[in-house]
Amino acid sequence: MGESRNQAATPELLHYRPWRGAFRPPIASVWPIARVALMSLFRKWMFWVIYVLGLLIFLLFFFGQYLLSWAQTQAGETEVQLGGWGRTNPRQLIQLFRGLLKLDGGPQTYHNFFSYQGYIVMIVLALAGSILIGNDLRFGSLPFYLSKPLSRWHYLLGKGLAVAVFINLMTTVPALLLYAQWGLLESWDYFYERFDLLLGILGYGAVLTVTLTLLLLATATWLRRTVPLIMTWTTLFFFFRLLASALVDGLRFSPRWRLIDLWNSTSLIGRTCLGVPPRPMAFANQPPWHEAALILGGVSLLCLIYLIRRIQAVEIVR
Amino acid sequence: MGPITANDNPAMIDLRNLSRWYGRFQALREVSFQLAPGRVGLLGPNGAGKSTLLKILLGLLPPSSGSGRVLGHVLGEDSAALRRTIGYMPESDALVPGLRGAEYVALAGELYGMPRREAQRRAHEVLTYLELEEARYRRLEEYSTGMKQRLKLAQALVHDPPMLLLDEPTSGLDPAGREAMLRLLLTLGREHGKAMLLSTHLLGDVECVCDTVLILHQGRLLLQGSVAELCRRRHDRYRLQIQGDATTFREELRLEGVRILHDNGRGELRVVVPPGWATRTFFALADNHRLLLRGIQPDDEDLEELFHRVLNEEGRHGRESEPGRDA
Repeated sequence: MGESRNQAATPELLHYRPWRGAFRPPIASVWPIARVALMSLFRKWMFWVIYVLGLLIFLLFFFGQYLLSWAQTQAGETEVQLGGWGRTNPRQLIQLFRGLLKLDGGPQTYHNFFSYQGYIVMIVLALAGSILIGNDLRFGSLPFYLSKPLSRWHYLLGKGLAVAVFINLMTTVPALLLYAQWGLLESWDYFYERFDLLLGILGYGAVLTVTLTLLLLATATWLRRTVPLIMTWTTLFFFFRLLASALVDGLRFSPRWRLIDLWNSTSLIGRTCLGVPPRPMAFANQPPWHEAALILGGVSLLCLIYLIRRIQAVEIVR
Repeated sequence: MGPITANDNPAMIDLRNLSRWYGRFQALREVSFQLAPGRVGLLGPNGAGKSTLLKILLGLLPPSSGSGRVLGHVLGEDSAALRRTIGYMPESDALVPGLRGAEYVALAGELYGMPRREAQRRAHEVLTYLELEEARYRRLEEYSTGMKQRLKLAQALVHDPPMLLLDEPTSGLDPAGREAMLRLLLTLGREHGKAMLLSTHLLGDVECVCDTVLILHQGRLLLQGSVAELCRRRHDRYRLQIQGDATTFREELRLEGVRILHDNGRGELRVVVPPGWATRTFFALADNHRLLLRGIQPDDEDLEELFHRVLNEEGRHGRESEPGRDA
């Protein structure tokens, strides 16, 4: 009886079939790694809550631009009474709104969008770091990946691609949509005349992608768990920002102290990429953009070195 | 065209004077062996060099000196191509949290280089073969230990490799699960032509599944041979079943030069007799002591005894060869 039960429990392999087919090169493994990482992220409800929040900022810009553009087409040349403030030309009023809200398809529009969206990206990345890469070290998934015919570089590329796709879905892609929307709403000439903005958006997106991807991969590999990761990101992007502000604006230290604020450094490079004209007051206390670029480059390099060393130290066979 | 099996390759593993150093520590010392495709057990205590050998065979570590081939692939040359021909089942869980069984196995297929659709189809097939079809869509965190072991085997089998490298495949399994896993491995080897290298510290696993055994100790290859040969019935061992007070009988046996390996206290003895021993002497001695000899059977040396014997012999040889010991 017992024997027959054991036999019944034995997996049946009578129908085992061989597989014949061509294998793809190891570089083809990068996308499956990225896809699975993103899939794990998309399965968390918290991600969707924050994503919708991020989408609201995009929708604010999108419909803000649309509304003002529509209003402009509806406004005539006749002056209208503005309560007790007197009469004004509606077109001029709309232009004023555009200027104040920076919804004029200019460099500042995209810079503002990147900045606001960036905060959401930061929060999601801090929450998602452990899901994207930390869990691989925490639950021993790395031997699964690295025992396959791919190198550690392919693994890092896959994970980096996942983070990059996410960052760009939140920042660069919506910014490009805003750029396209403005051109379609206003004039096709916009695409030719402000082609530099397209390059600026791509450049700013690339800076954010490289810096944040490497920083996230390194910190998530180091800390693994969500809570320490959030604490570290809060320190890097919130506490250091306050500290830099206190040192430069309060204690009148050199503006170079702002370089400890990585978010400010990315913003500085972003302004340069987009060609945002400097505001005299705010920029008086800012370091030059190339020093910010140097700092971000250095931080990214350090993160990369740490990542390589950390992944190389993983024992695939224990 | 028939399936490519390990039998298509003349030698599954061919190592020549392979050594590996970690700084000043030598993990493998001049290891040389040639293995025909088949089911091979790799035995050794902790620190014997098993893990280092597995890493080298998987192309994860280059040898410090020496050379070798695995299924025709030169070690240290194209490790990606080498790993594609091997299905590796790690000892650790190595699961990807958040994934479902079918996704996990399909991902393994894609990482081996299979196109996505084929990897997915194959994942379902392999999971069905391994009787995990009902658990395919369950999250990996919900799998039992036995299911996890089969899942790890599935991810090693998904690309239909000619050779499997199994690291402690029965680790953590209950007796029924262990038996099922061993039977599964045996079926894969015998009926589906899968060559396998089974690294374990459970000698029974090797005895059950493998036809060849390698014993590593302190980085050296201590022994290579067929399991059947090594466990061959030895003519100097017997299992006796007696009835009555055996105290004086045991003493008498010792005086006659018989070594008692085991006495279970319930009248069953395992003994080793001296050369030239005649079986009828047992009956004569039992008769002298007015005992009933209920059974007498030639006995086998199991792999555990073999393992300890080989280690002891090695230790003895080592002591004998130490300079100054004779003096």
